[in-house]
Amino acid sequence: MRILRCIALSAALALLPGAAFAQGKTAPKDAKLYFITPSDGARVRGGFWVRFGLRNMGVTHAGDDYQNAGHHHLLVDVKDPIDPKEPIQQDKSHLHFGAGQTETFLELSPGNHTLQLVLGDAKHYPFDPPVVSEKVTVRVRQPPQRGK
Amino acid sequence: MGEIRNFRSGNHGDPPPQGSMPRRLAAIIVGDIASYSRLMQADEEGTHVRVKRIERDLIEPSIIEHHGSLVKTTGDGFIAIFDSPVEAVRCSIVIQQNLIGRNASLPRESRIEYRIGVNLGDVIVEPDDIYGDGVNIATRIEGIAEPGQVYISGAIYEQIKHKVVCGYESLGDRKVKNITDPVRIYRVLPDADAVGRTRGRRENTLILLLGLTLLVIAGGVLWYLLMQQAGNTVERAAAPAVSPVASPSPQPPPRETATQTPQPSPSVAASTPSPAPSPSPSVTPAREPEMITIRGGSFAMGSNDDPTERPIHQVTIKPFSIGKYPVTVGEWNECAAAKACSFVATGKDDAPVTNVSWTDAQQYAAWLAQASKKPYRLPNEAEWEYAARGGTQTKYWWGDKLQPGMAGCKDCGDLAAEQPAKVGSFKPNPFGLHDMGGGVDQWVEDCWHRTYQGAPGDGSAWNSGDCTSHVLRSGSWKNDSRYVRPSNRDGYDTNVRYPTHGFRIALSP
Repeated sequence: MRILRCIALSAALALLPGAAFAQGKTAPKDAKLYFITPSDGARVRGGFWVRFGLRNMGVTHAGDDYQNAGHHHLLVDVKDPIDPKEPIQQDKSHLHFGAGQTETFLELSPGNHTLQLVLGDAKHYPFDPPVVSEKVTVRVRQPPQRGK
Repeated sequence: MGEIRNFRSGNHGDPPPQGSMPRRLAAIIVGDIASYSRLMQADEEGTHVRVKRIERDLIEPSIIEHHGSLVKTTGDGFIAIFDSPVEAVRCSIVIQQNLIGRNASLPRESRIEYRIGVNLGDVIVEPDDIYGDGVNIATRIEGIAEPGQVYISGAIYEQIKHKVVCGYESLGDRKVKNITDPVRIYRVLPDADAVGRTRGRRENTLILLLGLTLLVIAGGVLWYLLMQQAGNTVERAAAPAVSPVASPSPQPPPRETATQTPQPSPSVAASTPSPAPSPSPSVTPAREPEMITIRGGSFAMGSNDDPTERPIHQVTIKPFSIGKYPVTVGEWNECAAAKACSFVATGKDDAPVTNVSWTDAQQYAAWLAQASKKPYRLPNEAEWEYAARGGTQTKYWWGDKLQPGMAGCKDCGDLAAEQPAKVGSFKPNPFGLHDMGGGVDQWVEDCWHRTYQGAPGDGSAWNSGDCTSHVLRSGSWKNDSRYVRPSNRDGYDTNVRYPTHGFRIALSP
C-alpha cells in the first residue's frame, strides 16, 4: 500500500512540471480583465494613460509561474484573433508588460484606434479560456499645440 | 558639364552692381555623373528618368538634411553650397553611400556613378547660380575624382579632419587647369565597405599578403602547440578557464580583468594561442563567435517610416567589430556549461539562441570577455544600425524593395517557419554580416527611448533615462517586413525573456 502511494506521489510530482509548462494554463472562470481608463468611445487629445484592471487573478512578472497570475499585453488595432497555441506576438501593436506594469502612457496617431487587453502566462501564452478584455475604441484628436 | 566649365571669377559678363552682390565663404559641392554620354547613348529616356529620380529622392533631400542649398542642377550634375564644411562632406558621403546601394543590383555598364568635389571658397551668390574661383576649383577637383568618390580640397580637409571620422588619403598637390596655385587634394574614405571597393590594387595585395603571412604564422604556432601538448588539452577542456584560479600552465599566468587589451607576454610567438586570429575551438578556452571588423564612419541614423525612428540624425561611429551572426545555441551553451549563463538553451547548435532577456545577454558578454580576455560587449544601437545598413541608406540594405533570400520574416518571400532558420541562412549585407534584419530580435546596449530626441551623435550607448526597457533591433521571423528595415527599433522589458529575442556580440578594438 505504502509503495503504491509512493509511486502515485512520485508520478504526480513528475507530471506536475509537465502540466505547468503545457500551453493554455487554466484560469479561474470568474477572472475579469478590463480597462479602468479609457472607456469605450473615449475622445482623447495627444497622449493618454491606459490603466489595466484585473479581478480574481494576480499580476506578476513574465517568467514567474504562479497559479492564477499572469502579465498584461495591450493590443492596439489588432484585428487577427488570438491564437491560444502561440505566445502572444511581440511587435509595435502587441505591447508587453512583462515587468508587471498595470498602466502605460500611449501616444497614437490621430484617428480611431481599438485597444484590447490579453493576459499572458509565464511564457506569454494566453490562458485557457483566454483572459481578454472587451475591445474599446478611442478617438485620438490632433494634439493641442503642434504647428505643422 | 559644359555650363559649369564656363564659370568666370569676378568681372566677366555683367558684373553685379557694387556692394549689393553678396560675397560669402561657402563649402561648395560639385557633383557630376561619370560616363554620362555613354549612359545617354545607351538609353536616353531611361537614363534621364533615373537621373531625375536620384536628384529628387536622394540629392535634394540629402542637401536639405545637411542644411545646404542646391544652387542648380545641370543635365548631368549639380552644385550645392553649405555653410559648414563638415555638413558638406557628410552630405557627399551620404550621397555616395546611397548610390552604392542603388547600384548594387545593376550591371556595371548601367550604373549611375557620381564624382564629387568639395572646396571651400569665397563666392558670389546669385539667386540661381554662384561664381568665383572657389567654384572653379571645386569643379576641377570633381573632374579628377574617381567615379563613386568624394575628393576634397586642402582647405576643406583642414576644417574637417578632426570632426568627420573617416579616412583621408592625401593625393598631394595637383596643378589644375587655369588656376595658378596648385591645389592640395584628399580622397575621402568613408568606411570599410567603400574602402573595399575603391582601395588601390597595391594596397589590396599588401593586405592580402599580410593576412596570408599572419595565417601561416598562426597556423604554424597552433600546430606546434598542438604537438607539444596533445595530452595536455584534454584536462584543459575539462577544467574550463572561467574559474579564475585553476587551469594549468600554457596560458600566460597573469589573469587581470577582461577589459584590458591582451598583453603580448613572455614571447610573442608562444603566447599567440588565445588571441590567434584564426580561433580553433579545441585550443582556445572559450569559443568566440566569428567577428567582422567595421571601419568607423558617419551615417544618417533613423528614418521617417516610424515615429520612433525620428529625427534622422548624423552619427559618427568609431571602429569596432561585430558578430558575423547572432550568438548561436552552441555558443550560448558553453556559457551555460561554465555556469555563467543561467539556463541551457535547447535547439540545434547552429540556430540562434532565443528566449534571452537583455540581462541574460549581458551575462554572456561578461562571460565571453572574461574567458577570452577581450572587451566583448553588446553593440550600441548606433553601431548596430550602421553595421546593418552596410553603407547604404535605402529602406533595406539591398534596396527599397523586398526580395526573397535576404532576410527571415513572416512575409519576406520565403516559407514562414515555426522556428528561426539557422544562422547565415540568408545573404550577407555589404559588410559581410548575416541576419541583420529578420531572424531573431537582437538586444543592444542602449536604454529604450521613444524617439531619437536628444540622442548622442558620437555612436556611444544612450544609457540615460528610463532603463527598465532596452532596445531591440532586427525584427524576428514572426514579424512582418516592416521590422526587417535596418532603422526599425523597439523596446522591451530588460529582465523579461521572450521566444523571439536573441542578440549578437560586439568587440571594442
